[in-house]
Amino acid sequence: MQSLGTFFTYALLAVFAQNAVFTRALGVSRLVKLVDDTAVDSLTFGALLCAVQLIAAPLGFYANRLLEQYRYRTYVRPLAMVLCSAAAFFIVLFIIVLCFKMDGARKFIAVLPMATFNTCILGTMIIGSVQSFTLLQTIGFALGSSVGYVLAVQLVTEGQNKLQSEEVPATFRGLPITLLYIGILALAIYGFTGHVVAF
Amino acid sequence: MTGSSDKKTRSRAEVEHRARRDRIFLNNPVIMQGLGLAPLIVAATTLKNGIMLAVAVFLLLTPMRVLAAALSKFAYFRFRGLTYALTAAVVYIGVRYIMGLLYPTADLALLGLYLPLLVADPIILKRYERPQRERMHTAARKGLVTSLGYMLILIFLSAIREFLGAGTLLGHWIVKRSWFPMAQLPAGGFIILALVMGVWRAVAVNVKEQMSLGAEER
Repeated sequence: MQSLGTFFTYALLAVFAQNAVFTRALGVSRLVKLVDDTAVDSLTFGALLCAVQLIAAPLGFYANRLLEQYRYRTYVRPLAMVLCSAAAFFIVLFIIVLCFKMDGARKFIAVLPMATFNTCILGTMIIGSVQSFTLLQTIGFALGSSVGYVLAVQLVTEGQNKLQSEEVPATFRGLPITLLYIGILALAIYGFTGHVVAF
Repeated sequence: MTGSSDKKTRSRAEVEHRARRDRIFLNNPVIMQGLGLAPLIVAATTLKNGIMLAVAVFLLLTPMRVLAAALSKFAYFRFRGLTYALTAAVVYIGVRYIMGLLYPTADLALLGLYLPLLVADPIILKRYERPQRERMHTAARKGLVTSLGYMLILIFLSAIREFLGAGTLLGHWIVKRSWFPMAQLPAGGFIILALVMGVWRAVAVNVKEQMSLGAEER
């Protein structure tokens, strides 16, 4: 019961108080592209991101435990984490091909690399390693982080309708006004939690 | 009439072509494409952090891009993201070693996870999404110019944020008090970057118009 509590506490923490986008700007370059890109369905991207994150996080946890004894672990940690993401990439690819066959899987396969190799996935794995999370905390945080990222994408996509107003000066339309909007949302989260998260 | 309209179209196309190649000012990777935002928003809060990140990007981006361009000849398109990410992570080992020689560990700790995170940053990896393979000398040239464009923004933005947030530059007092303490928070990073982008884009549009006029007169 306590384990379940820990899992959900870390998941909720990662969704709201330590939201990947609003508190650490993880994956924000991808997010601003995603809200503008009609070719990529944000829900498909989100589902793939969650799947990759959930598989990569425990792999990253064990990889980090193996590295702990080495002096130069900070040098090779990104490589270890990218290898874990790559393993998650192939596992998710295999599951997609198995479930949807080759023709149905194409739209997922096109999005999979960008849902795997991004700062949200790598950043969450590094946070888990640096802050010495337990396995349960790592998985809870990874789940919360990806759900929080998907929520942030939805929130910014909703905001886009208002941000495309003619009243916005021409040079601020697009990327600048989107960042301003994210900044105000980040300020609201800062007002709610009252502190800056460790990075 | 048609001749002058053709000339105008040609000169505009020529200016657009030149602007696309100028990755330092007119097509800066941060300002125009929104690449590499995470370190800029969270870690580049002081000029010292900005300089350290700029050095890391300079050491990482060009060698990684050249190596990835060479290796992607052997990679299936859908696996090119993997090729680029793995190459970046391998090059990072050397970069982290050099950074360790240049800066004390306590200083590098100020960058937190944003130094290793460069490995997966779109400014490093974005190229893999293009279906066309990149030639090695093109990768070297574009890598170098993109690095310079990113370094310019890193140093400029971190200096503004340190000045507004703490009233200092490289730790030395410039004004007696901080004018905008929020500048050093992630929220402030988003807001200041958005304002810099808006102003930069306005200036870039103006410069392009002047260039078009100049080209038409020739």
